[in-house]
Amino acid sequence: MVLTCPVGMGKTTQRDQASGHSRRKLLSAGALLVLGGAVTPLTGCDLFDRDDQPPPPPDPLRPMVDESLTLAAAYQSSATAHPELAARLNPIAEAHTAHARELARVLGVALPSTAPAAPTTAPAANPAGALAALRALEKTAQQSATAACAAAPAERAALLGSIVAARATHQEALK
Amino acid sequence: MRQPSAGEALTSALSAEYAAIYAYGRIGVRLTGAARDAAHQAEAAHRRRRDALVVQLTTAGGVVPPDRAGYALPYPVTDRASALRLAAEVEERTAAHWRAALASTTGSERDQALAALVEYAVRATRWRKTAGVTPLTVPFPGRPT
Repeated sequence: MVLTCPVGMGKTTQRDQASGHSRRKLLSAGALLVLGGAVTPLTGCDLFDRDDQPPPPPDPLRPMVDESLTLAAAYQSSATAHPELAARLNPIAEAHTAHARELARVLGVALPSTAPAAPTTAPAANPAGALAALRALEKTAQQSATAACAAAPAERAALLGSIVAARATHQEALK
Repeated sequence: MRQPSAGEALTSALSAEYAAIYAYGRIGVRLTGAARDAAHQAEAAHRRRRDALVVQLTTAGGVVPPDRAGYALPYPVTDRASALRLAAEVEERTAAHWRAALASTTGSERDQALAALVEYAVRATRWRKTAGVTPLTVPFPGRPT
C-alpha cells in the first residue's frame, strides 16, 4: 500500500510536504501494517500456538479493593477537614476499609497499605458540601458494585451484595 | 454446606416477609406521627414482596409455605423505643434472607434479591436514625453476625 503512493525517493522533501505526508509518517504506517500482519495470523492458530498461556484477565474484584480504599481515604480527609463530622464519618471510613480487607481476602492478595491515589479533590470548605460530595462518591460506587454483584459467581454474590447495600446505607447516613 | 436452590432461597425469603409483616403489626401501634407512617410504608413494602413471591413460587410450580398465625418476637414490644429497635432488627433480618438468595440466583432473580437487600438495609438505617441509635450503619448489611 505504501508503495503505491508517490513517495518520491531521492528527491527533496518538498513534494512530500505538499502532499501532506512525510516519509516518516508513511514508513511508520507501513511498519504498523507489517506488525499487524505478523501478529494477526498467530492468534487462534493451532499450528503456531505458543506454549505459554496469555496472562489471565485481571480479576474484576481487584479494582474494587482500590475503590474501597479510595472511599475510605475520602472520608478520612473530610473528617480531618471537618472534625465536627468525624463521629459520623469515621465508622463509614472503617466500613470501606473492612470491605477492602474482605475483598483482598477473597482475592488472596495482601491489602495495600494505602489508597492507590489520594482523593482527587480536596474536601469542600463547608460541611454540607463535604457531605454532598461523599454522597455522590457513594452513589457512583454503589452502581459499580451493583454491576459487579450482577456478574459475580455465586460464592462472591453475597459479599458484593452487602457492599452494594452498605454504600446505599452510607448515602442515607450522610443525609 | 449445599447451596440452596433458587426456589428454596425464595421460599425462605417469603417466610421472612411473613414474619416481618406480623412484626410491623406490633410495631405500628407503638408509634405515632411520622414514625407510624414510616412503619406503614415499610409494612406495605413487605406485603408487596410477599405477594410477588407467592405468585412467583406458584408460577414456578414450587412449594408456597403457608403464613402462620403468629411469630415469636425476640422481645416484647411495649413502647416506642422497643418498637423502633425491633423495626431496625426486622429489616436487618429480612435483608439477611435476601442476601442469602443472591448466591442461589442469577439474572433478574439476583437483581430482585439485591433490590430487596438494599431497600431493607437502607430502611434499617432510617429506623436507627429515628431511634437516635449510632452507628447508623453496619459494615456488611445482611451478613450473619
